[in-house]
Amino acid sequence: MNRLIIVTFSLYVFLVAPLHARAQEAFPNRPITIAVPFPPGGVADLTARPVAAAMERVLKNPVIVVNKTGAAGAVGMSYVANSKPDGYTLLMALSSISIIPEADKLFDRQPAYTMDQLVPLALISADPTVLVVRGDSPWKSVKELVADAKKRAGEISYSSSGIYGTLHMAMEMFSHAAGIKLKHVPYGGAGPALTAILGGHVDALASGPAVVIPHIKANKLRPLAGWGAKRVASLPEVATFKELGYDAEFYIWAGMFAPRGTPEPVLKKLRDVIRQTVQEPDFKDAMTKLETPIAYLDAPDFQKFWDKDAKMLTDAVKRIGRIEEKK
Amino acid sequence: MLETLQNLYLGFSVALSPAAFLYAVVGCVIGTIVGVLPGIGPLAGISLLLPASFGMDATSAIILLAGIYYGAMYGGSTTSILMRIPGEAASVMTCIDGYEMTRKGRAGPALAIAAVGSYIAGTVSVVGLMLLAPPLAAFALRFGPPEYTALLLLGLLVLAYMTGGSISKSLAMAALGLLLGMIGIDPMTGFFRFHYGIVELGDGIGVVPVAVGLFGLSEILLTAGQETPPKVMQPRLADLLPSREEWRDSTWPIARGTVLGFLIGIIPGSAHIIASFVSYAVERRVSKHPERFGQGAIEGVAGPESANNSATSGAFVPMLALGVPSGPIPAVMLAALMVHGISPGPLLIQQQPELFWGFIASMYIGNVVLLILNLPLVGLFVNILRVPYPLLYPAILVFCVLGVYAVNSSVVDVWIMIVMGALGYLLRKFDFETAPIVLGVVLAPMLEMSFRQSLAMSSGNYAIFIHRPIAVFMLGAGLFLVLLSLLPIFTRRVNWRRLLGLATNSDLEKEDNR
Repeated sequence: MNRLIIVTFSLYVFLVAPLHARAQEAFPNRPITIAVPFPPGGVADLTARPVAAAMERVLKNPVIVVNKTGAAGAVGMSYVANSKPDGYTLLMALSSISIIPEADKLFDRQPAYTMDQLVPLALISADPTVLVVRGDSPWKSVKELVADAKKRAGEISYSSSGIYGTLHMAMEMFSHAAGIKLKHVPYGGAGPALTAILGGHVDALASGPAVVIPHIKANKLRPLAGWGAKRVASLPEVATFKELGYDAEFYIWAGMFAPRGTPEPVLKKLRDVIRQTVQEPDFKDAMTKLETPIAYLDAPDFQKFWDKDAKMLTDAVKRIGRIEEKK
Repeated sequence: MLETLQNLYLGFSVALSPAAFLYAVVGCVIGTIVGVLPGIGPLAGISLLLPASFGMDATSAIILLAGIYYGAMYGGSTTSILMRIPGEAASVMTCIDGYEMTRKGRAGPALAIAAVGSYIAGTVSVVGLMLLAPPLAAFALRFGPPEYTALLLLGLLVLAYMTGGSISKSLAMAALGLLLGMIGIDPMTGFFRFHYGIVELGDGIGVVPVAVGLFGLSEILLTAGQETPPKVMQPRLADLLPSREEWRDSTWPIARGTVLGFLIGIIPGSAHIIASFVSYAVERRVSKHPERFGQGAIEGVAGPESANNSATSGAFVPMLALGVPSGPIPAVMLAALMVHGISPGPLLIQQQPELFWGFIASMYIGNVVLLILNLPLVGLFVNILRVPYPLLYPAILVFCVLGVYAVNSSVVDVWIMIVMGALGYLLRKFDFETAPIVLGVVLAPMLEMSFRQSLAMSSGNYAIFIHRPIAVFMLGAGLFLVLLSLLPIFTRRVNWRRLLGLATNSDLEKEDNR
């Protein structure tokens, strides 16, 4: 009898009680980390920081942004994909989240993560990239650039945020649509890529509008076209590629993800919090200042958006194929 | 000139307002702490405080964040000098002679010179920033991949002067460093190299874990292996300040470090690390007693510590004058400005004079604050050495692990540090210098990237390096340095085998008899 009591008691202590304790812990009770897989100052970083600040106010719980950079974002994304699915580690990813697994496939390597290791929480912003050339360059329109590029195949150069990175993809879609060949000089991030065109080391760049607008105003850069379905609000005179007859559409979007396996109540709570976050006046204000349009979509719509976008990007990666060393 | 003075007056009226002054002080204090803690560098510190700056006005925010940046350069020398642990990557060179000075009981003077050198470099380079920003920034942008490649090659040639020991051993260590730097994703094709299934290695091996392991951990292991424990230091007050001779020896290194650091700092990239390496090598080169380097030469502390400080001001040149993110830290600060609705760009100085001049003035004030803060701290920090080793070393180990983990929140980094500690221990037992490994790890990814970018720009034509004037000039300077170091072989008939450390005993006798 005695033994039975002991066994039951210890069973309770070791098996049942922890479950109780866990169930009673309200989420969140410790700081939440938003991992940004890119260096500070980029689009993902600039979106994550106001999001974190606003989430902190909504949740009354610390929300920290951590830059886990490397391998064009693969390090940070696989970090979140493989972290404990408890809602305390979230990911602020860009469009490139769909590119990396495809590139891994291309090189027959163990993928750093797969897309189904992550569940979408919400789309925060979607910014069409714009094509800029140097202010002192001869090209006044996309047509002139394309005509010149056809004459001198592979001589007009562009910088990008890295091989198979977002800015590389945008350019690849454009050059594919226009049937031209450009010279690609990859850099280690969007910041260095911008520095490169300002220094005159490359001829063209695809970039988010926010960071290039001051340089456009100062006549250092000239916008030629945008990748969006609509024109960029702050650059109303710049036509879209679609208007010009090139089938290229590309957005640098920023969305939040959680590791798959995160409990449903936690996911729901996070989605609610993000919904409130994007309506915070301070957050709206911050995004306006950053000239990054908020394009909030809740998880189900975001999933649809993501599927469509991923298809477009994986097609582009397949087209580029493996980049071989010089023959 | 008058206009500059008027602007500066405007700046000081902004920077001396109570709020701005307070933020400058807070930034400097946080920066010092961030710098002192091993591993956590200014980037981590600034990133952590960025959200806090959203609520301030733009000028206060930028003053606070800049304070952390240059404050960290002051603090970074502390653990390098006292414990041979680089507080952040730009303090690696300070470890070598700074720690030797500590072992000779001259920790106080080393710390004091580091603080004074930082102060002079900080203040003078702000003058440079104030007067020369727009023209220099335009020049800095001309540094594209080919120029960067040439600069880095020059940096590698500097290796030959870095250590006192045999050149062949130094070169072997540098080669090891360069090989370690090859680990990670290929920047041009996306191939993973030597990653053994560890995704974190895709980003390559970080400088901080390597430096903390090779310098700090190996030192702790070596001390633990000694038969007689080292004497606990009892620093006296009189030993805290540099002697007249030490002041004199430091004057020129500080001056050279300041100019060199500023010029290297304006080049986009992680220039403040390279600035400290180059400064150390230059000091060793111009010294009349190069053999003192590595044995506790105060010039080896004064030069690099000044250089890394003035490089921070240099890094602000392209950032403020052109709105160009010239490195990871200026990129975060630009982000802070954008969050406040200020578009950083070529028109920033005209459109936001209060911000620009307030920022300049705050740097003058901040450097004074840091000097006042750091000189008394010398007395405090030196007392750490009174702690008995059985207590001190475990505590240092804990700080190393925490600090290295904190940089990327990565356990892989901690393992790298531990492996490097063991490697450093073995290498030092066999009398190899470890500094060239760190230099190799720093330079390899940058060199590879810029070299291959250059070739991508020219479609594989190597002539690009001789078609660009700045690159040609630097490659020429490098070649000149090499020839200069070979000169004694011909003129004084020095045995070249001796230079390489391959001389046999009979060779040496012959030479001595001559």
